[in-house]
Amino acid sequence: MIDVQTHIRVKNLSVWYGKQQALNQINIRIPDKRITAIIGPSGCGKSTLLKSFNRLIELQEGVKITGHVLVDGEDINDPKVEVTHLRKKMGLLSQKPQVLPMSIYENVAYGLKIHGVNGKKNLDPTVEHYLQEANLWEEVKDRLHTPASKLSTGQQQRLCLARGLAVEPEVILGDEPTSALDPLSAECIEHRFLKLKEKYTIVLVTHILRQAKRLADYVVFLYLGNLIEHGPAEEFFKNPKDPKTRAYISGGFIEETTRKASG
Amino acid sequence: MAWRKIEENIFKFLMVLATAVVVGSLALILITVLFKGLPALNLDMLTKTPQGGYYIGKGGGILNAILGSLVLGLGATFLAFLISMPLVIYLHLYLNTRSNRARLIRFILDLLWGIPSIVYGAVGFTLMVFLGLQSSLLAGIITVAMLIMPIMTRSMDEVFKLIPFELKETSFALGATRLETAVKVILRQALPGIVTAVLMAFGRGIGDAASVLFTAGFTDSLPYSLFKPVATLPLAIFFQLGTPFPEVRERGYAAAFVLTLIVLIISVVTRIFSARFSKNIIR
Repeated sequence: MIDVQTHIRVKNLSVWYGKQQALNQINIRIPDKRITAIIGPSGCGKSTLLKSFNRLIELQEGVKITGHVLVDGEDINDPKVEVTHLRKKMGLLSQKPQVLPMSIYENVAYGLKIHGVNGKKNLDPTVEHYLQEANLWEEVKDRLHTPASKLSTGQQQRLCLARGLAVEPEVILGDEPTSALDPLSAECIEHRFLKLKEKYTIVLVTHILRQAKRLADYVVFLYLGNLIEHGPAEEFFKNPKDPKTRAYISGGFIEETTRKASG
Repeated sequence: MAWRKIEENIFKFLMVLATAVVVGSLALILITVLFKGLPALNLDMLTKTPQGGYYIGKGGGILNAILGSLVLGLGATFLAFLISMPLVIYLHLYLNTRSNRARLIRFILDLLWGIPSIVYGAVGFTLMVFLGLQSSLLAGIITVAMLIMPIMTRSMDEVFKLIPFELKETSFALGATRLETAVKVILRQALPGIVTAVLMAFGRGIGDAASVLFTAGFTDSLPYSLFKPVATLPLAIFFQLGTPFPEVRERGYAAAFVLTLIVLIISVVTRIFSARFSKNIIR
C-alpha cells in the first residue's frame, strides 16, 4: 500500500535544544497523499520532528540540527534553499489556532499577497474558494471584513486551514490541530483532513490514539526522541512489533516494558 | 485566624495608601498649575509673542515658546522614531530575543535611559559646536531625540515582548520573510503599544529643560528656521518663575498649565486614532 512516492524523507535527523537531545537519529519516509500520524507521549519529540519539516525549529533558542530532511529530493537545511519557498510548500496548522491581527478576508489573503497575488479581482474568488474548502464560507460570508479574532476557536482553526491552503502547499502539517477544539469542531477538521488527503500529503501530530486510528494511513511512533516503530496504520495497530508500542497503544506503562527489556 | 486577617488588612491599607499617593500627586500637580496659573491665563498669552519687557511684567504672550516646543517636540519624536522602530524590529525579528547581542543592546539602552538630561545637553552642545551649528532648532531636535530615543525604544521593546511567539511562527509558516512579518503582522498587533511608547517619549521630550538650555537657546520670535534659536515652554517657565515679580511668576504657572495641557491633548487624540486602527488586534 505504501508506495515509494515520498515528499519528505528524513535521514539520520538529530535535534538538540541546548544540551538536551530532542530527536535521536530519525530515519523515515513520509508517504505521498496519505495521512501520516506521528504519535507518542508528551515530550517525545513529535512537534520537533514536524517543525523540522518546514524549518520552524530554527526559531527556537540554541537549537542544533544534524542529519538531513529531504523535500522533493532537496536537502532543506542546505544554505542555498530559500526558506520562504520551502515554507510555502508546507501549510501549518498549530495546536492553538493563531489568527493574524486582521479581518477574516485579510487572513486568507495575507499569504496570497506575500506570494504575489494582488487585486480584488484575483483575490476575491480565491479567498472564497479556500474558505469553502475549509468549510467556513457559509458561516462568514456576510462578515468577511470583521476581525478574525471575533470568531469562535473552532471557526478560527478552520480559518487557519483556509489560510494555509490558500498559498497552495503540497503538504499539510498538523501539530495537534484539534486539541484546543470542542468535539464538533474537531470532527469537522478531521473530516476535512480525510477529504484533503486526495490532494495533499498530510502529517499529523496527535496524542489522541483514537484520532490516529480514525485518520492515519501510516503511523510513526516516537518515544523519548527515538523512533520506536513505524508502518502502515492497520499493521501498526494490529501487530505492533516493539513491546513499547504494544504498551503504548494498549494503554500500559511504557517504562515497565523498557525496564524488562533492559533487565 | 484573627492575626492573618489583620495582616491582610494592614497590607491592603498600605497598598491603597500607595495608590492614593500616586493619584494625589497627579491631582496636586494639576491643581497647583491650574490655581496658580489660571489668573494669568488669557488669550493674549496664547496668541502673542513677548513684547519688550515681557519678563518684567509688560504685555505679550508665549506663542513663541508654545510653537517652539511643539515643533521641537514633534521633530525630536519623529527623529527618535526613525531610529527606535528599526532597532526594535531588529531586536525582535532578526535577533533571538535572549541572545547575547540582544542583551547587550538592551543594557546599553538602559544605560542611556539613566543618563541625566543635562548631560545630553552638554554632549549636544559639544556636537553642535563640532558641526559648526549655533544654538538652533536643529541642534535642539537632535539633542532631545538622543534623550528620548532609549525611552521610546525600550518601551516599544517591552510591548513587542508581549506579542505571542506563535504569531511570528504563523507568518513565517506561510512563507513570509522577516520584514513582511514585521511590517504586516507584528506592527499591527503592537500598534497601541507603539503609540504609547511614542507618546511617553514625546511627553518626556517636550517637557525637558536641561537638554535644550544650551542647544536650542531661546528667542522671542516664532520658530522660522531650523538653524535659528527656538523658544521652548520649559525654559519660558524657568525664566518666568525665576523673576522676583509675582505677576510674572503667575504667568510661569500659566505656561506650565499650557505645557501640561498640550501633552494631555496630544495623548488623548492619539489614543482615539490608535483605537480606530487596532480593532483587529488579538487580545
